[in-house]
Amino acid sequence: MKSEYVGKRVPRVEGVEKVTGRAVYSVDVDLPGMLYGAVLRSPWPHARIVEIDLAEVRKARGVKAVVAGKDFPFNFGGMIRDQPFLAIDRVRHVGEPVVAVAAATEAEAQEALGEIKVQYQELPAVFDPREALAKNAPLLHERLGEYVHTGPYQSVPGTNLCTVRTYSRGDIGAGFAEADELFEDEFYIHAVAHTPMETHAAVAQYIPAEKNYLIWSSTDGPFRRAKELADALRVTINQVRFISTYSGGGFGGKGAMVAEAIAVALANFCKGRPVKVVYTREEELTASQTRHAAYLKLKTGVRKDGSFTARQAEIIWDNGAYASKGPDVAQRGGLTIFGPYRIPNLELLSRLVYTNKEPAGAYRGFGTTQATWACEVQMDMIAARLKMDPLEIRLKNGYQEGDAYINEQVMHAVGLRETLLRASREIGWPPSKPKPLGTRFRGKGLAATIKGTATPTESSCFIKVNPDGTLTLLSSSVEIGAGQKTVLAQIAAETIGVPLASISIPNPDTSITPFDAGVTSSRTTYHMGNAVHGAGLEVRRKILEVAGEVLKTEPGRLSLSQGRIFEEGAGERLTLKELLAKKFGGRGGGLLAEGRFSPAGSPLLAAAKGREGMSSIFWMFATHAAEVEVDTETGVVKVLKIAAAHDVGTAINPLGCEQQIEGAAIMGISNTLFEELKMEKGRILNDTLADYKVATIKDLPEIVPIIVETQHPEGPFGAKGIGEPAAACTAPAIANAIFDAVGIWIKDLPITPEKVLAALNQKKNEGGA
Amino acid sequence: MKILVELTVNGEEGQFEVEPQTTLLELLRDHLHLTGTKEGCGLGDCGTCIVLLEGKPVNSCLVLAVDANRREVTTIEGLEENGEIHPLQQSFLEKGAVQCGFCTPAMILSAKSLLDQYPGANEQQIKEALSGVLCRCGSYPKIIEAVQAAGGSKKKGLGNEK
Repeated sequence: MKSEYVGKRVPRVEGVEKVTGRAVYSVDVDLPGMLYGAVLRSPWPHARIVEIDLAEVRKARGVKAVVAGKDFPFNFGGMIRDQPFLAIDRVRHVGEPVVAVAAATEAEAQEALGEIKVQYQELPAVFDPREALAKNAPLLHERLGEYVHTGPYQSVPGTNLCTVRTYSRGDIGAGFAEADELFEDEFYIHAVAHTPMETHAAVAQYIPAEKNYLIWSSTDGPFRRAKELADALRVTINQVRFISTYSGGGFGGKGAMVAEAIAVALANFCKGRPVKVVYTREEELTASQTRHAAYLKLKTGVRKDGSFTARQAEIIWDNGAYASKGPDVAQRGGLTIFGPYRIPNLELLSRLVYTNKEPAGAYRGFGTTQATWACEVQMDMIAARLKMDPLEIRLKNGYQEGDAYINEQVMHAVGLRETLLRASREIGWPPSKPKPLGTRFRGKGLAATIKGTATPTESSCFIKVNPDGTLTLLSSSVEIGAGQKTVLAQIAAETIGVPLASISIPNPDTSITPFDAGVTSSRTTYHMGNAVHGAGLEVRRKILEVAGEVLKTEPGRLSLSQGRIFEEGAGERLTLKELLAKKFGGRGGGLLAEGRFSPAGSPLLAAAKGREGMSSIFWMFATHAAEVEVDTETGVVKVLKIAAAHDVGTAINPLGCEQQIEGAAIMGISNTLFEELKMEKGRILNDTLADYKVATIKDLPEIVPIIVETQHPEGPFGAKGIGEPAAACTAPAIANAIFDAVGIWIKDLPITPEKVLAALNQKKNEGGA
Repeated sequence: MKILVELTVNGEEGQFEVEPQTTLLELLRDHLHLTGTKEGCGLGDCGTCIVLLEGKPVNSCLVLAVDANRREVTTIEGLEENGEIHPLQQSFLEKGAVQCGFCTPAMILSAKSLLDQYPGANEQQIKEALSGVLCRCGSYPKIIEAVQAAGGSKKKGLGNEK
């Protein structure tokens, strides 16, 4: 069947709002009587709060409310409820909120912070997660065992172990015994800041008489946040209404309560007035969330022919002071350390460790980026020692259609091979050795990745048909900038048979739009897409039923296309608008359908007994190929080209897929070469965008996005997802290209000129010895 | 102490009482409710607050309102004419140069200033002119394409060619 919208380069449905500046973000919310919040933060990485003196600040100009932790003594946390809204008796990281103030103006709120006196007693702190594992390490959470755990997260009370995840399959010892070569390597991947252009911001209002909260926020999961908040405050979900705005970028960072927590705590004391909290860029960089830094140890057994016999992996994730989404990162992200390859014998020890630092949270890739870094650099190290082509060894071991995942789930829509072939062809493979230009050497490298989606999770929606034949899609999928609204509108229009322009999608509001598990885990196109598809089929059936009634014919003889009703043999009969006018008359009426989707129970999730929980309803595959130039005099690495091939199932919107692929490749380059949170005793030193450099338009290399389509059997129109894996393989592709260029391995991120020069020197010394 | 500032914003003249330290950004967002201009850092590092002052892009967080006295300011809200969006806005839309949209107004205004001066600006000139605005979504390739299409340096047309 010819498609009207699916597979088309449809421009953003919310694009006009954005190009005209009318789109409202959290920072733009402005309400009558609104107050402004500001936060006094901890200057210490770990300290006991001895005394807080609020007498002066309460008298300060413009101040309407002041709140400290003991005034609002609740903990929140979507996975482990370990985080206070404001520090209660201790601070666990520099930048932790201690006292919040609401005033009539932003300036007055900021000024008032100077009137707060807090007396701290410094405690020993720990910054390296490996040291935090030591028996005598300072303990961050004495009450770890008492915190509510919302899932099976294995914490170890009495230690800094927030989550432990182990996995094994086969016989690791026998696997290593079978190997011809063993590879043992250690890798490090650094923390980076999400750096959305819109900093965290929220407005909260508490209506005391009703005990209701209203929260305006650009969080990526309004319903999950509503549940988290309701759980934390022991109120009902109906009492915590999240109203979504547009989001000025999230990348995972808006997947937890950040500004929301402070705004909510303050709102309780503002006598019904709304209060707005906008993070400064400094707060965004130092006191929101980061990507998890991770130490990864890999031991891999390989036969001479390049096939794997075993892999043992150990990952230590630096969680910072609070759990946020770390427990799931350590569980699901950790498993991707085995890469998209067939390895018979496996063992994993993944440990998430508390340290006295800014908390880490979800970051585009959700642990996959960290695991892929180690897996894919070691892959090239293996290829180099075996004198195999990096492409060949990946093709030899890479998953193919119908292969079993590590829990024996049979995988479908596996486009890994095609991503490898197309990315390498685009970059030019095998790499030739061009002559260096002076001290500038060129090289090419590849890296592949696999990523699943959180499974099973729920999405639901309503589709309304209005009296004039326009439609409204009510869903809690936030437009975080990745094109959610457009894809959902395309799926709805295609399924129902109406013009795309006739569908409107308001921003979510948890008091109106039904449940969705959030715009995370690259899950929206698949999950909400399926819900919309289901609701679309239902609404189409209802429309044709009404048409049959009005036209006095069998609905089976009718069809709907572009908002027009056709009858078999009779051609076009009437428009949807005319139909509704005929059915409901001048006073109007409408139709309604619901869609609900969860992959739970899908036969595709079948796996080894007891291991079904590791199945993913779809698997995404990608390969990035990089060409770089390394200057051996300065150590500077310049990326010349990235060819990025992604298996998305079906590209509902190829333009949107390209945006994701190109954007993620740039983010990948930026994370790899430019970004690093410089820390001294838990204090982040580079707290401005002048000092924390992210890629600008001038850093842009040639990027070629390549879309691979494999048609998922249960995806909406065959679609899977794209957002998260898009950033995972850029770093190892660059590192592998550096090896191709100058023969050095960089195993610690970021790749800085200093590290390149040091490795070149070491190579020279070893060569000379 | 309040100071009276006369300003033409998007073609409309107005008089505003501001504090000496009030920035142009604050005047636009807080007093005039022109929230299409965004604040991303307040330090002149990110460029999301760019507006045109006498046709030239400035970080409005770094310009005092009093320094804009008797000058002409164009914000993103000023680009529409007779209910039609500006060709650059149209081009950004069609080429997919918009993702989260937070940097979009600043990108479009920076591009407008460039194209007003060099209608056929090439890729290098576009990169130079837009390098003051950060886009974390990484829409850069499509932004360049959109500006080229609007400026006509590449005869690509504005259609949705597949």
